[in-house]
Amino acid sequence: MRTLVLALGLLVAALPAAAQNRLHLYIWSDYIAPDVIAAFESECGCQVVQSHYADNEEMLAKLAAGAKGYDLIVPSTEVLGGMIKQNMLQPLDKSRLPNLANIEIGFLDNPADPDGRYSVPYAYTVTLIGYNTRKVEELGIDPHSWSVIFDPAVLQKIKGRVTVLDSPRELLAAALIYLGHPANSLDPAHWKEAAEVIRQAKPYWAAFNAASYMRQLAAGSIWVAHAYSSDIFQAREEVRQAGRGFDIGFALPREGALVGMDNLVIHRDAPRPDLAHQFINFVLDGRQSAQLTNLIGAGNPNRAARPYIRPDILEISAIFPDAETLRRLQVPEELPSARERRALSRWWTEVKAR
Amino acid sequence: MERLSRWLALPPLAYLCALFGLPLLLMVLASFQWPGEFGGLEPALDRSEDGYRLNLTLESYHRLGEDGLYLGLLLKSFLYALVTALLCLLLGYPLAQLIARSPSRWRGWLLLLVVLPFWSNFLIRIYAWMILLSPEGLLLGVLNALLAWFGLGPVQLLYTPAAVILCMVYVHLPFMVLPLYVNLERQDPALLEAARDLGASRWQCFWRVTWPLSLPGVYAGTALVFIPAFGMFAIPDLVGGTEGIMIGNVIRTQFLEARDWPFGSALAIVMTLVILVLAWLAAWLARGKADYG
Repeated sequence: MRTLVLALGLLVAALPAAAQNRLHLYIWSDYIAPDVIAAFESECGCQVVQSHYADNEEMLAKLAAGAKGYDLIVPSTEVLGGMIKQNMLQPLDKSRLPNLANIEIGFLDNPADPDGRYSVPYAYTVTLIGYNTRKVEELGIDPHSWSVIFDPAVLQKIKGRVTVLDSPRELLAAALIYLGHPANSLDPAHWKEAAEVIRQAKPYWAAFNAASYMRQLAAGSIWVAHAYSSDIFQAREEVRQAGRGFDIGFALPREGALVGMDNLVIHRDAPRPDLAHQFINFVLDGRQSAQLTNLIGAGNPNRAARPYIRPDILEISAIFPDAETLRRLQVPEELPSARERRALSRWWTEVKAR
Repeated sequence: MERLSRWLALPPLAYLCALFGLPLLLMVLASFQWPGEFGGLEPALDRSEDGYRLNLTLESYHRLGEDGLYLGLLLKSFLYALVTALLCLLLGYPLAQLIARSPSRWRGWLLLLVVLPFWSNFLIRIYAWMILLSPEGLLLGVLNALLAWFGLGPVQLLYTPAAVILCMVYVHLPFMVLPLYVNLERQDPALLEAARDLGASRWQCFWRVTWPLSLPGVYAGTALVFIPAFGMFAIPDLVGGTEGIMIGNVIRTQFLEARDWPFGSALAIVMTLVILVLAWLAAWLARGKADYG
């Protein structure tokens, strides 16, 4: 009995100490290499606790509902501005982030967060076309244009073998770019045109899918996917390891595409801002930063990471765009108000239901 | 004893009030509020210099009815749920009958088999169906080979409304079988013997004796299947393809993507009302039949 009391006493005494030495990371699933976490834990002598989300809106909804205790969060740029305006974040202490110098200058110029007061660019993904090289060649299809998912004349050759992202923002942007409008257009007439394009293409699509298309692409049951570059990269790794007799290709449509940046930020009520700063500086180290790219094929804004990134990944222009490709990329902007969010939600319901 | 049972009923009552009644009231209130600029809600009470002013609106309900879009989806979900419930009844009734009539030492095992799928996670089971239904899957491979043998073209199942119904029936079947079994197992075999003695055919025995007596079980099972199927969003999301969306998907989107809580609440309330009316109808029908039994 006495031992039990003693043990309990020790446990209670130890709890606050343990709780203090934890960094709570709220991040996209599979968005940091396990080796990086392990290396950081041994450097700081602390523990990293990860929680995951699959969607910016899921993260915002959870925070809006009052979730607490997170130190670091990794929002995309299109929701960053709103988080800053809502006073959810704390300014970064840049004297504690010497590795910030590793970030390529262009990436620090973020209109959602001028001068990077609150955020550090972490990794980016391009929304593009992933395709089965063998099928596309056999059928004589050009995957380097959005027509491959929107033009019925092309689609009839691949009916039921196409998926598009289950995301209103991404699909609207793709249709707008295909029509030659700006990806962030708010003009109702443009949206209507986009809905019409989708209505005609929809019968040829297998599904709206944002979760399992990479597996189906890798299995060969889907031939063309409107997709995130890092997912396509992982599907390709899988296919190459399994030796399936075909390859997965990246096609960045010549009309243009969206590039989405994810940023490291510290929550206003972070219990351990010191550990959070230490962590940001740690992952900005070139060697650590390269690991994410080597693992999931994420685009990397870190100059110092280049020497550590697999050369074959550096060659993929969809992940590391050259100057010409860069000009074709557009950055998604936040919808200005609740009114536009409502309009988008209605647009999406209509697209899906009709 | 009477008093004790009354005390014992307090915790579940408190639980229901706190975790069902209160959230429902909050949802009703939310459906009349304005959405916040960054999600959430505008306060229901505006504070100005001359005191408080109510800041409520009917706008969410107006939007709901403004054209056929949302009502159409509501109707479609209703039909999906109805078809699911009917198919479950069609499949579940003979199964429940079989289990209820089998030797008592088998019954436990057979019931276990019905409940067994619940031991693995719901989403994992749906993912398993995705593999089975995919064009390269075993099930569809065999089916299409058979069809080709008869000179018919290959069919697609995954990403069709048929896949949604199939998965919904699969997931909800035990909810139909269990209440039906409980009812059928309790029926007195002497009633059937009496009917046979009086010259009823097998069909008449079923239609005039077993079926009317089992109606409370039928209503309970149908309600247990219909209600969750009506609000389902995970299955249409996973296997529904471009045509399979249901009202549950729209409600989920309002909270998780559009950050439009008032409209999501309004949709959910309309759905809850439809379900309440139906549940009341089922309970009323069941009670009538139980008296008569």
